[in-house]
Amino acid sequence: MALPRLLIDSRPHPSWWRYARAVLACGLTAGLAFPFHESLDLPNTVMLFVMTVVLVAVKAGRGPAVLASVVSVALFDFLFVPPRFSFAVTDGQYLLTFAVMLAVSLIVGQLTAGLRSQAHEADRREQVTRALYELARKLAGAMTVGQVDDALRHFLDAQCGARSSLLIAAGDTGPTLAGEPGVALDRLDWQTVRMVCASQQAVMSSALDAAGLCRHFLPLTGATRNRGALVVSVAAALGEMRPLLEAVASLVSTAVERLHFVEVAHAAQVDAMSERLRSSILSALSHDVRTPLTALYGMADALATARPPLPAEAQETAAAIRDQALRLNGMVGNLLDMARLQSGRVQLRREWQPVEEVVGASLKLLGPALADHPVRITGLDALPLLEFDAVLIERVFCNLFENAAKYAPPGTPIVLEADAGPETVELRVRSGGEGFAAERLDKVFDLFERGRPESAVAGMGVGLAICQSIVAAHGGTIRAFNPPGGGACVAFTLPRGCPPAIESESLPPEGGTP
Amino acid sequence: MNKPLILIVEDEQQIRRFVRSALEREGLRVGEAATRREGLIEAGRGKPDLVVLDLGLPDGDGAAFVEDFRTWSSAPVLVLSARSTENDKIDVLDAGADDYLTKPFAVGELLARVRALLRRGRSNPESEAARVAFGDVEVDFSRRQVSRRGEPVKLTPIEYRLLGLLIANAGKVMTHRQLLREVWGPAYSDSSHYLRIYVGHLRHKLEDDAAQPRHFLTETGVGYRFQL
Repeated sequence: MALPRLLIDSRPHPSWWRYARAVLACGLTAGLAFPFHESLDLPNTVMLFVMTVVLVAVKAGRGPAVLASVVSVALFDFLFVPPRFSFAVTDGQYLLTFAVMLAVSLIVGQLTAGLRSQAHEADRREQVTRALYELARKLAGAMTVGQVDDALRHFLDAQCGARSSLLIAAGDTGPTLAGEPGVALDRLDWQTVRMVCASQQAVMSSALDAAGLCRHFLPLTGATRNRGALVVSVAAALGEMRPLLEAVASLVSTAVERLHFVEVAHAAQVDAMSERLRSSILSALSHDVRTPLTALYGMADALATARPPLPAEAQETAAAIRDQALRLNGMVGNLLDMARLQSGRVQLRREWQPVEEVVGASLKLLGPALADHPVRITGLDALPLLEFDAVLIERVFCNLFENAAKYAPPGTPIVLEADAGPETVELRVRSGGEGFAAERLDKVFDLFERGRPESAVAGMGVGLAICQSIVAAHGGTIRAFNPPGGGACVAFTLPRGCPPAIESESLPPEGGTP
Repeated sequence: MNKPLILIVEDEQQIRRFVRSALEREGLRVGEAATRREGLIEAGRGKPDLVVLDLGLPDGDGAAFVEDFRTWSSAPVLVLSARSTENDKIDVLDAGADDYLTKPFAVGELLARVRALLRRGRSNPESEAARVAFGDVEVDFSRRQVSRRGEPVKLTPIEYRLLGLLIANAGKVMTHRQLLREVWGPAYSDSSHYLRIYVGHLRHKLEDDAAQPRHFLTETGVGYRFQL
């Protein structure tokens, strides 16, 4: 604290000494001029005194200059104006000389002192600016929040003897300290910090703490949101600190924001890389697994359908190999799909389209698997266009129909019903059979959970989990229940959104020949 | 007449083997290639009547092969795709491939597709026949009349244009973009909902069960295939 501070008026001497020097300077001038009073004209003596006042104003400022003016006039009268060694004046003209001399001294002294203080002020400002620039340079190079904190502390200590704590807003947990707390914060202070962060308004408290300092709380305002707060503890008397502190806070928030975005960009890069890796692993896996499966399936199929036919037993075996290969392919497909969906970032190719079309496509895809079950479809053609990823929703229908066909007794129908609500469209796939085990209803959408764990039907418990992931990605919901009439039902919703307008086209006037 | 020559471009030897034996059993001549480069050389030498092309070739993607091949040949290309991403299929179809099969596939299905494509390739003018019948629908192009079970069916101009285009490309997968460009014009190539709605209209007017169509088939995420 003993160091010279730019912001504290840095006159090195106490004020009485400056006044004493002013008086001494006048005395010195009088002493030097006195031996020559015979040869010097009085007007020239006046000039010497005026110059002394100017010098005093330059060196010691406004107050001493006033004192020097008065003392100069007094000394001039006493020592030089006849009758000498008396304040009495014989010639009335000298009164005018005194008055003009006093006035000129005062005016010149004032102007000079003004210039001096302006120069002083400009100097001080320049130094603050240079220090701020230096701070900005350091902050621009800072790689961590800790370095920002260091640069900030150093600046505040050097420029105004203040101590600081830098608090960085981190997500939902509220602001946290970056580096050492330069200012110890109590519970009330933390509350103030949170308030400052929320309101983005600085709190300049004038209350002194135990050390005779007062605390200022400044928000770090970022371009998009608050980035934290700055707590500065400084000697109370400095009202003009505010603009400086605000400038510092804005520099620091820019630096903190920059670091934040660097971090975000870095995280995004890492994310994108791991995403790319994951998807290339998945597609390589998918290719590598499917290639031998394709060969296996094709060769078994070629054997099973060979002309002339193989012996019955061999043909059955070939057909069994083919069917098992197909099942394995289905499982692998399910697992890969699940892996893709669970990796979190499914790119939906949403397009406006009728649901009817995907239902038709999935029924065709399943083909023989549905041979034992008549499929009844109601309400589909009355639905509005919906926006969804056709491939994924086809997958949902395939899984639901396939499940229904697997668990319902042969010959029982599979029913697809559709209802359009105000916000969503609900689609229900209903089938006969025992339905879901009641105690597992809330678990059937979990991965590797099955509606009937003891069931003889082969399955892994992936199909419904896939359905749920897909429906959720579309902003819909899915539920399973056993309808009162028996059997099982899975219902899912899709949001209706705002379908695009379609320019309608009218039939040509005369029928049949467009 | 010479037996048609089929060129298989596929890097997996076992798949080549059973595809070859299935095609040969069908009475077709078969050539083989394991890479894109080899495939193009082989195609240039043998002038195949049909190419069976794997999408996952080690030395480049199938769309590039089709683009090269299409510069000098109009022989049909049947794509075998192990990939589940629809974009690759769309790319290769837009480049000029005619149809695709997703791995794994049944031999019977492969042969059916090959036969259909060969028929198309051989008798291209058939698509310009004046009358075409499918299911219980009859289309008379010379009189611009469509009838179903003897009853005239009213189609709008766009529906008629779409129907004509699909029939002309029967057996072939048409991507959404191809259909939109041909029927609505290039400005509409991203408005696939128009296409979907009009295909829906055709299904409702010409199919027995619009939800389970037998002729206007959906290739989900890719386009449509019209099957006579």
